[in-house]
Amino acid sequence: MSEQASARTWLGGLAIHGRPLILATVSAGVVAGIATIAQMAFLAGIVHQGVVAEVPVQELSLLFTGLVSAILARGVAQGLQARFAARCSRKVRSEVRHQINRCWQTTGPVAIGQVSAGTLAREWLDHTDALHGYFARFLPQMILAVIVPLLILGVVFSLDWLAGIFLFLSAPLIPLFMALVGMGAEKLNQQHFQTIGRLSGQFLDKVRGLTTLQLFGQTAPAAETLRKRSDDYRRVTMKTLRIAFLSSAVLEFFASVAIAVVAIYIGFGLLGYITYGPSDDLTLFSGLLVLLLAPEFFQPLRLLSQHYHDRAAAMGAGAEIVERLQSSTDTRPAAQTGFEPQAPDIISVQDLYLAYDAERPVLDHISLEIKKGDVIALTGPSGGGKSSLLYLMAGFMQPDQGHISVFGAPAGEKPFGWLGQSPFLVHGTWADNLRLTTPDATDVAIETALRQVGLGSLLNSREQGIYSKITEDGQGLSGGQARRLSLARVFVANYDLILLDEPTAGLDSDSEIYILEALHKLARAGKTLVFATHHQALLTLANRTLLVTEGGVRDA
Amino acid sequence: MRELWPWLTLIFRRPVRLTVGGLLILATLLSGMGLLALSGWFITATALTGLLLAAGVQASLNLYVPGGGIRFFAVARTVARYAERVYNHDTVLRLLTDIRVTLFRQLSLSARRQRSALQGPQWLSRLTNDVDALDTLYLRLIAPAALAALVTAMLVIAAGVFYSQDLAIGLLVTLLPGFLIATLVVYLRTRHLVYRQTDARERLRTDVIEHVEGFAELTAAGRTGKHAALCLRQADQITSNDSRADTRTGWNLGLAQVMVNLAVVLALWMGLQLFQQGVITGPVVVLLPVALLGLLEVYSMLPDAFARLGGTLASAARLNRDCAPDTSPESDVRQVPLDSHNALELEQVTIRFGDHSPVISRFDLTVGTGEWVGIIGSSGAGKSSIAEVMAGLEKPASGNARHLPAAYLTQQTVLFEDTLKANLLIGRPDASDGELWRVLELVAMADRFTHEPAQLNTWLGSMGSQLSGGEARRIALARVMLNESPLLILDEPFTGVDAQTRDRIAAAMKQWLAGKTVVSLGHAPEALPASDRTLRLS
Repeated sequence: MSEQASARTWLGGLAIHGRPLILATVSAGVVAGIATIAQMAFLAGIVHQGVVAEVPVQELSLLFTGLVSAILARGVAQGLQARFAARCSRKVRSEVRHQINRCWQTTGPVAIGQVSAGTLAREWLDHTDALHGYFARFLPQMILAVIVPLLILGVVFSLDWLAGIFLFLSAPLIPLFMALVGMGAEKLNQQHFQTIGRLSGQFLDKVRGLTTLQLFGQTAPAAETLRKRSDDYRRVTMKTLRIAFLSSAVLEFFASVAIAVVAIYIGFGLLGYITYGPSDDLTLFSGLLVLLLAPEFFQPLRLLSQHYHDRAAAMGAGAEIVERLQSSTDTRPAAQTGFEPQAPDIISVQDLYLAYDAERPVLDHISLEIKKGDVIALTGPSGGGKSSLLYLMAGFMQPDQGHISVFGAPAGEKPFGWLGQSPFLVHGTWADNLRLTTPDATDVAIETALRQVGLGSLLNSREQGIYSKITEDGQGLSGGQARRLSLARVFVANYDLILLDEPTAGLDSDSEIYILEALHKLARAGKTLVFATHHQALLTLANRTLLVTEGGVRDA
Repeated sequence: MRELWPWLTLIFRRPVRLTVGGLLILATLLSGMGLLALSGWFITATALTGLLLAAGVQASLNLYVPGGGIRFFAVARTVARYAERVYNHDTVLRLLTDIRVTLFRQLSLSARRQRSALQGPQWLSRLTNDVDALDTLYLRLIAPAALAALVTAMLVIAAGVFYSQDLAIGLLVTLLPGFLIATLVVYLRTRHLVYRQTDARERLRTDVIEHVEGFAELTAAGRTGKHAALCLRQADQITSNDSRADTRTGWNLGLAQVMVNLAVVLALWMGLQLFQQGVITGPVVVLLPVALLGLLEVYSMLPDAFARLGGTLASAARLNRDCAPDTSPESDVRQVPLDSHNALELEQVTIRFGDHSPVISRFDLTVGTGEWVGIIGSSGAGKSSIAEVMAGLEKPASGNARHLPAAYLTQQTVLFEDTLKANLLIGRPDASDGELWRVLELVAMADRFTHEPAQLNTWLGSMGSQLSGGEARRIALARVMLNESPLLILDEPFTGVDAQTRDRIAAAMKQWLAGKTVVSLGHAPEALPASDRTLRLS
């Protein structure tokens, strides 16, 4: 299925999710349309009674009451339409965010870690918001652009079938209009965004290199270049826009001409110049009503053309979201079937098989038993499967075959400590960072944990202790300090099992010593530690070293 | 509203263009109203004449003037709309240029330290959005509001002149609230909902990025669900504010239209009274209410634009803040003049950021004119910080730095999306093509571009010729070497350049830069050109 088609299908699915509210929006729009017809009918009626029948205006109060009621009903229906549309968009966007969250959950930390966080956040935030216009404006208007003109056509036909035919003749043109408007709007949209994109690109490029320009004293010439480039883009864009705007001019032209033709036909009919057709029955009431309804016949279409860019925006954003959602179903881990819990004091790896490439399995039917309180070092060449084994024990990935039982439960089911290679900080205080994984940690526990990993002196230098911000003055922590902070999370949480992926790789010697000491403390406290490493000092910390290579695992 | 002021002055620097554009919109609106009003008048007149004719009374009606008028308005509306769209789109693109160029000029006067806190992709994307919000100010907000007010005033005056003063006052009493409801009231009722939206979204973006970055740790601790729920709650708060703003805008639109429609009712009621008193004819009764119906279209554009005004104000405020010129006081500490034999003197220089421990403390260095000095240090030893002080970009926290005018090759390679020539000319704007080729030869890049069809005009960057890191580095080096400053600061000049090319360039540099002072910084001696002396940072 093409990208566009799958985006369309997905948007269709979301429309089903928001169907009650879309129906409510459309219903309110239809009520507003009917109220508009009623308003025009009362208006024409009053004019007829007042001008032709010369009824005193005081005796027309009933008709005036009807007119005001129709006006009020139209206003209320419009307000309700906006309300339902806004709610629908909100509901759909919330649903999409939930879908993406579920997708991340099934994808798992390993695959998620391979996509830039900025990209994922943009999908979650901006792409989801890009669906707003489609569900709040375009989709309901697409339905209204069919229903309301049909209603008006029905009324006009009952008044004067020849005038009805004038409008009806433009009806087959409507799909043509739509195509024209669509093509024009699409072109316009692309061109507009391309220009804006290029202009922004030029501007941002100069802003990014501003220091360089300042160093060479070249900011003024750069501003001049920016102006010249922008002017060039403008001239090129305007050439295409002159054509693109023609399509909406065509719609405008047909609407104007239809009104003019209807007006002149009715006028001549009322004078009795037209001797065939239904024009003999024309009165000021029916003639004026037909005239007043003619612009309303085209109005929904004009609105639709204004909302057309919402569709393009939603399709673009939808295509990218769908691609992400589908990628998660592609890599969906096989459900663990036939899991049998093993003894609660061991980690048992049974007949584990994992292959990215069927020729060369990463783990080829390995079995292993780790006792509670063991300190295990996994070593071996890079790409040999250390990290994969660690991820499987963490439950971040599922094996192709085999089972892992961690203290009597499937891998990843009970909370455990994890220390990856890229440390993770949140904006906020030291306490925020530790409570992220252990919400009920006491102040004392937090401070103790931070001291355990050698961050005590840094903490002492901050006025508000654990409640001071981590990143003051825009200066962050060094890589080593950040990794120690992550380790402090493990200290404060009191997990039975702690998995660490290359905990000392790329650290300065100070941080390395602190990490080693901290791991030693954890080991003495009876925690089960499993780490992948090459580091000699870490290997000596372990009471068992496993060599993971060529699909097998053996004691080294 | 004050935050918008600088931008409004900028926009109104094109008064003729804005007026012409406005008049074209006015012509569109008036022909639309004229078409309907005249048609209404025509139908009523023909109906009355037709009745007289049917009753056998001699009556006649000039058909050519109104018929021609209707055809004229029908064509005029189409033409005016097309012309208006083309002309005003052109205006918007011109304003877009004005705003970007002005903003760039302001930014180039801003302090670097103030800016460095803002750099980064997130700030750049926010900057783009904020500028976009200002781009549409004229076409979406100013022009429609001004024209709606103008057309309303015209109709009220016409009612006073041709109908009665009472009717004019009646219209004013209904239309003025209608106008305010569509503009000011929408702004006031949505302001607090939209003003902080961008900030809230940026905060949420930070949280979502943290969620993704910490996904492994959160999963291990069994907290992804809780943390995701936190993000979802925030997102829901933002969407809910959007949704409330939209709903209020919708109700205001409905209410404004009710007010305009009530003006129609009033015009009809009082018009019929005037008709009965014999002041006006039947067809004229119809003229005004139908023209007023045309106002609906004008008013319907306003609420949406005014609902965004709160956000636009926030954008303007952010731009004013981020692009404010440098206000930090110039240090007027009396400087000891530089010794005439020296190109650079650093005395007890200490560099620190905030309250962190100093990156460099009490550093002394004197470099004589014409001397080549190498400085070596591991990453994080403060090389780039010293280079910035030597180039005069940063002031030391304490101590003195004096130097001749310097050209500085920053550690990060900065090339612009522009031609090769334009990139090089930044170093020396008056350099001839021959000089450019010679310096390219020197950095061993001449061959690379003699084979390009556009030669010196080859486009660099994402849209043009793709350069490798080492090639880009050499272009940046060539740019610095073109510069006529007597002192050159080169931070890691040969990043990404292979050893053989490096040696060739280093040898050629000696000749090209003879007589100049060169301070080069790098992680190892082989990463630097041959120097008279080499220092090691520890």
